Amino acid sequence: MAGATIAVNIVSTERPVWSGQAKQVVVPAYSGGMGILPGHEPVLSVIKEGRLDITDPEGKKCSFEVTGGFISFDSNKLTVVVENARSIAYQSEAAEQSGIVG
Amino acid sequence: MVSHTHISHPIVKRGDGNPNVAVLALTADRGMAGAYTSSIIRETEDLLARLENDGKKPQLFVYGRRGVSYYHYRNRPLEQSWEGDTEKPGVEVADAISRALLDAYMKPSDKGGVSELYIVYTEFINMVVQKVRVLRMLPVEVIEEDKSHLNVPDTTTAPDVRPLYSFEPSLDEVLNTVLPRYVRSRIHECLFEAAASEVACRQNAMHTATENARDLINDLTRKLNASRQASITQELTEIIGSADALNKRKSRNAKWLRTRLQRLLMRPRSQSSVM
Repeated sequence: MAGATIAVNIVSTERPVWSGQAKQVVVPAYSGGMGILPGHEPVLSVIKEGRLDITDPEGKKCSFEVTGGFISFDSNKLTVVVENARSIAYQSEAAEQSGIVG
Repeated sequence: MVSHTHISHPIVKRGDGNPNVAVLALTADRGMAGAYTSSIIRETEDLLARLENDGKKPQLFVYGRRGVSYYHYRNRPLEQSWEGDTEKPGVEVADAISRALLDAYMKPSDKGGVSELYIVYTEFINMVVQKVRVLRMLPVEVIEEDKSHLNVPDTTTAPDVRPLYSFEPSLDEVLNTVLPRYVRSRIHECLFEAAASEVACRQNAMHTATENARDLINDLTRKLNASRQASITQELTEIIGSADALNKRKSRNAKWLRTRLQRLLMRPRSQSSVM
């Protein structure tokens, strides 16, 4: 699936938070961080409070602080449904290393 | 998700013959909305009567101040009520309502739990048409694969072949997370529909009231003019009549009469038109 992307859609209870294409998404799944690449098997997973990282097709990253919810992934479409989501600015590499949650 | 797994979560299936059912009526906080609240209450009463005929014991939940005061005035016990947000229902109130109702639903029947939940709300079709609807919210009906399911708000609508999902950490855990949220968002949707209908109803009612007031003003102005005209005519007739009578004898008082006539005709016309 080289070159393929995932259509990501993040919604919170109040509003749509973010949507767009991504190369890779890391979600704070129930049993630890779960990386999702294009072509991942269909999955419906509970997620817990933590940080969600999105790598867009240009390699840029953006992150969201999310509270509990679930994700649904199939046919390269990822839907993230959470209580609350807050965008956090991309910090330095070091800060990112130490800031990994879940 | 539905097509591959046999789901036995209580939100989806319930068959313990518990006669207690919950009814949630969505009314308005404020009046001046025409028949909005009264048609909801009428439909609720119909539903309650129907449920009682079926041997069920309905418990009443009311949202909106008008509905609450209606039932308080009639000394009807309310299980729970919410007020103050009907025009702008936020997530919090949807959350509070769905939590209370799910709590009641998940409780065993001997502790006052309910086996079904009905919502009476007003569906917003457009600014002119709103329709009162009764929705059976719980238990959630699982709709089997069917061509007509496309316009049903199902939890999963994957095109063509439905993918085989894997569940993390387990099916039950996922359902425990997803289904309450599903219920909450459906309730929130109903609240939004109700709020939109309420605003539309109120606008229609205000529009009708304005038109009615305008008609009244026109009507009353016309009546005022007519009566003023009538009184002037009457007075003129009297003066002319008496002047004629006097003239026949002598024009002694002719000068006095002329001044009186002039004064009458010069009288300022008060409030001849409001519009």
